[in-house]
Amino acid sequence: PSQFILISDQKPLGCWSVKHGQILTCPVVCNFETHEYIAVHDDKVRGSVAENRDLVLFLQLSADVYRIHSLPHGGPVVLFRGGGVRTLDVLLEAPQQEIENIISGEVIRWSGAFMEGQQPVLIFTTEKDEDFFVYIQKPKLSSLHKYKLEQQESAKPLCFTAHITNQTVTLLCLYSNDSVYEVLIPLQQDTEEKEEEEEILSKSLLLNLSVSGAVLKGTSLVVLDKDHVAVLGSLAIPGKEPRECLTIWNTKFQTLQTSKELPLGTSGQLWCYEEKFFLIHGKVLTVIMYKCETSSLAAAVGKLKDSQTPDVSSFVNWNTLEDEELVVSFQSQKSVALKAESRMNVSKAVLKHVPCTSDLHSICLFQDASTYVLETELKKLMAKAPTPDLQATIGYVVTALTDRCKKNPKYYPRNFLQEIAETRDLSYSLCPDLMAVALEKKDMHLLQICLERFPDIPEEVTYACLKTFLSMSEAHLQKIDVNLDSVICYIDVELDNKEFKTEIVENGFSAEMDQDMCDTKIPKENQSRSDGESCPVGLQKAALLNAILHSAYTETFLLPHLKNLPARQAILFLRYLYYLYVKCSEKVNTTLPGIRSPTINQIMDWMCLLLDAQFTVMVMLPEAKELLSNLHKFVRAQVRFYSQLNKIEGSLRELQRLNHLRESQTYSIEVLEII
Amino acid sequence: MVASGTGTQLAIGCEDGSVKIFQVVPGGIQFERNLDRRKGRVLCLSWHRSGTHIVAGSIDFFRVIDVASGQTVQRIMVNHQVEKAKRECVVWAIALLSSGTVVSADSFGRVQFWDWEQGTLAESHTVSTSAALSLAVSEKEDSIVVGTSTGATYQLQLLPVKLGGLEKCWVRTKPFQFHSHDVRAVAHSSTALISGGLDAQLVIRPLMEKVQKKGYDAVLRKFTFPHRRLVSCARKARLLLFQFSQYLELWRLGSTEETGKDGEVLPPCRMPEHLVQLKSKGPEHIYCSCVSPCGTWVGYSTASRFQLYRVRCDGDGVSLRKVPKVPKLLPPAYQLQFSADSESLFVASARGSVHVFQLLEPGGCKHLHTLQPPSGCSEAVYLLAPSADGHWLAAVSGDWAIHIYNLKCFQHHCVVPAYSCAVSALAIHPSTNNLVIAYSDQQLFEFSIPEKQYTSWSRAVQSRGLHRTWLERDSPITHITFNPKNPAHILLHDTYLLCILDKSLPLPDDSTLLMNQSTLKQLPETARKRQLHAFKICKKFQPLLFMDLLDENCLVVVERPIMDFKTQLPLAVQQKKFGT
Repeated sequence: PSQFILISDQKPLGCWSVKHGQILTCPVVCNFETHEYIAVHDDKVRGSVAENRDLVLFLQLSADVYRIHSLPHGGPVVLFRGGGVRTLDVLLEAPQQEIENIISGEVIRWSGAFMEGQQPVLIFTTEKDEDFFVYIQKPKLSSLHKYKLEQQESAKPLCFTAHITNQTVTLLCLYSNDSVYEVLIPLQQDTEEKEEEEEILSKSLLLNLSVSGAVLKGTSLVVLDKDHVAVLGSLAIPGKEPRECLTIWNTKFQTLQTSKELPLGTSGQLWCYEEKFFLIHGKVLTVIMYKCETSSLAAAVGKLKDSQTPDVSSFVNWNTLEDEELVVSFQSQKSVALKAESRMNVSKAVLKHVPCTSDLHSICLFQDASTYVLETELKKLMAKAPTPDLQATIGYVVTALTDRCKKNPKYYPRNFLQEIAETRDLSYSLCPDLMAVALEKKDMHLLQICLERFPDIPEEVTYACLKTFLSMSEAHLQKIDVNLDSVICYIDVELDNKEFKTEIVENGFSAEMDQDMCDTKIPKENQSRSDGESCPVGLQKAALLNAILHSAYTETFLLPHLKNLPARQAILFLRYLYYLYVKCSEKVNTTLPGIRSPTINQIMDWMCLLLDAQFTVMVMLPEAKELLSNLHKFVRAQVRFYSQLNKIEGSLRELQRLNHLRESQTYSIEVLEII
Repeated sequence: MVASGTGTQLAIGCEDGSVKIFQVVPGGIQFERNLDRRKGRVLCLSWHRSGTHIVAGSIDFFRVIDVASGQTVQRIMVNHQVEKAKRECVVWAIALLSSGTVVSADSFGRVQFWDWEQGTLAESHTVSTSAALSLAVSEKEDSIVVGTSTGATYQLQLLPVKLGGLEKCWVRTKPFQFHSHDVRAVAHSSTALISGGLDAQLVIRPLMEKVQKKGYDAVLRKFTFPHRRLVSCARKARLLLFQFSQYLELWRLGSTEETGKDGEVLPPCRMPEHLVQLKSKGPEHIYCSCVSPCGTWVGYSTASRFQLYRVRCDGDGVSLRKVPKVPKLLPPAYQLQFSADSESLFVASARGSVHVFQLLEPGGCKHLHTLQPPSGCSEAVYLLAPSADGHWLAAVSGDWAIHIYNLKCFQHHCVVPAYSCAVSALAIHPSTNNLVIAYSDQQLFEFSIPEKQYTSWSRAVQSRGLHRTWLERDSPITHITFNPKNPAHILLHDTYLLCILDKSLPLPDDSTLLMNQSTLKQLPETARKRQLHAFKICKKFQPLLFMDLLDENCLVVVERPIMDFKTQLPLAVQQKKFGT
């Protein structure tokens, strides 16, 4: 059955199918005004799907639809196979109205819709007997212009794309001779006299898709900005097998900016929305983010630093839905997901990933089987040899389990989830609910594992974990089993031992070293010592916080969350970071011993981040004063120390340089050849 | 000591606190009168532009003196505002602006602006934690450069308080740190700040906003060595004479019997020998010196005395005997040059004159003739070049005119066409008697003395233009010499390179590599031919103080490593700096 699946750039969001025997004949579009999705099946019938994902409207039309285009602010526009164009409003009023036939014997090859001012403009190209024509229609003004494309010997257009700037349509055509041509068509104001002669459009070569002998056989073309186009195709290098590639070209400098190999093959189609490419790579819909730098010569020759195009590639776990049964189970779960969605933010709505392997006949088990049966089944599954989609399957299993946990508050397969998280390379996007459930169940160990292993935890969740960890009482934590590998090697076990050790100045600093900089002598030596020298948190909490330090994050996204951290917790965290920093500095190589112990850079980054986020709080809070002043002194001492090191390094370098110099004897007789 | 704006009077501040006025008369100065004497050394002086007032800086105060009456009209204490008044405040530099504002730079690192008539402090800028030692005001009096003892210089500018407003105040705008030691002197040209420091450097820092186009003027220049010859060579005797500020050293060069490949260091069979050190009497610096080609005569001159010595080598010992009854010269020599046959000595003197002395055996000297340009000249001669055959002498005076004299009849022969640049070196070719001239703008000319015109090669060079890289060098050619075995070779050097200019080879154009020696060395012999061009440059020896060709195969090169004298400098003011 034809079905369409709603996806975001992160995950599939929804799925609908049409009745058995019906075929969706053109891409489904979203009506931006009503947020409905409009589907066309069997060329004739349009169904409209509202946000609540029910088909609400059927419309029988009198002519075959080629495509629907949806325009922001302009409403959907329907292009019929005969070349006629109507806006959706007009069709809703009179569905059975007569649609004129503009093209005769020509077949529409491509169409595109744009807004020019307040007017929708529809451009489509047709083919007839090796000739290509371009039509430009403004449905609201019922104006129509027809042009003929200049012929190209032994090559014909494969793919079109267009954009409108300054009243001019720029039509880019990918030709079968591996070149991209540019055709400029002025958007004519409606002239009174209709010229009978069809205008011939001349084209100019924009880009030759060849790079040092290799030729790109393009299948799809997308314009990225005024200087960049993306072409999907197969790169044919003489003497090698052609490989499918996504390429970005700079048209200004005629260079290949970047390319990405797609070894699993593609469908030859490429879409691009909001700086993201969507393409089908193997069985997976792949989303590739890109960013086009302003075109400069430096970028064109690859000399620009940090030019990261395309940089992030994320996979939507989106498998082709073949098995009818699965679809049913999929749909049966939809209601659950939608409930969850109504509680959470709409944009966070999560639909299930549907595995395609038959392994999942057991999925139904997840809903009601006894824990024992379930675990046996799952162990069988896990024992299987790794197959390419086992990963996705496990993700699905975990998601199903977490769903069950949500439905049934008593159910929580703690050990099993921990084992899975520990042994399988899961990621957050594979089982987005896992951490939420773990947070709810206060499963600290699982959270620790997730933080240490998942590469893609949203900053929001990282923050939630941090807050939970900081707020937990030490007494409660002591009862909990967490992995202490990261702390055991450096933390002072004798926490209660208040006895002072004899002062050992290692690496040149201690709090006292800096006395000349103190305004007054440290008044409460005891206090300052405990800030820097003994761990302000217990072993378990330290291990959990280390997991946080270990997780990946983006500053800009984390910062707003960190601002919400309660002041007391922020200070505790800062105290711990300060402690780690002092610990690190004790060693010459500034690393902490142990497995997964935080690195100096992670500590510094978090310290900066925390101070940034909580700056005003820290300034206002009397408790923070002492800590900040000690921290400041310590940092100052370090800066001094490093500046001294710098001096030594400078001297050593100079010595090195002098050693390398020609042995400067005061007198020598040398042979000098001058040619 | 400062001259008045018109240049007719000279004011001299003395240790005893007096200020003396001298009248500048043709040929010298004449004492006029003493101005009001007060206790305290006078450390700096400045004339008002109109010549009516002088401001004199002392320790803890400065005073303004009315020149006409000679009376002190204002005395201002400068250390009032300082709490640490126990320390004395030395006014190191002072300037009296035409508006009547006095600018003082003192040992507390302050630059202060005073209204001397009211006796009030208008503005005070602490530019440095250590002393401000020198200051200079621009012609328009809208910019001041201050040198400090930390080696930093600062620019202060008179800027409107509000954009477009009329009210102006002094603002410290640009700090520069080009010296490691005291900046003892600064000057403010229309396009650049110039500073001289105790670290033996002269720095010209262009003011980019004043420089219109990219060129020689737009680049920071640092000079470590004077653009003068400080070493002379007795080719035949293989001796080198080194001129230091207070003494001369005469060395005999070592030699070797080995040969080797390029870059090899050969073991000397005879080590160089320090023959003698000749100390100049009195505090005066040695201005110029020379050793005769045969190595038996050494002459030097200070600001007041000219001395000639006879060098005798008997076996291992070397004895120096002062030549008695040397003709008295007033003023003394600006440059000394022995003739190629060591029989006469040319002494460059004031007003364009060159004295010719005949050297007599066993140790005497008599004045033979004085050569003078027929049209007269007000400037002193600073460069001399005798021809090898003893026929010609070229002399360059401060007005950059090159006069050529015939030594056979002691007559003026001709003048080289004027060129608007200082001559940095010149020499007469031993076989062709062509005069090769290097100018400070890096241009090279060849002038045929017998024909009294530029040679065709010189014209070709001028029409073609020298290589851009050559012209963009910033140190001038300081010595020219020739290869007697190959008349096409001209040897030149500046501080950073030595060059054999082969006139028989094509001139390089801007597209070819000027310094191509290392490239050539990698090429096979056959391929070298096409790459050859006239400039054969070697940069192996830096900084280069002197280079001369002893014989066909033997080149002597004197390097003066900067570290050698940097280490002899006193400690710089200690400064905490991050990252050094």
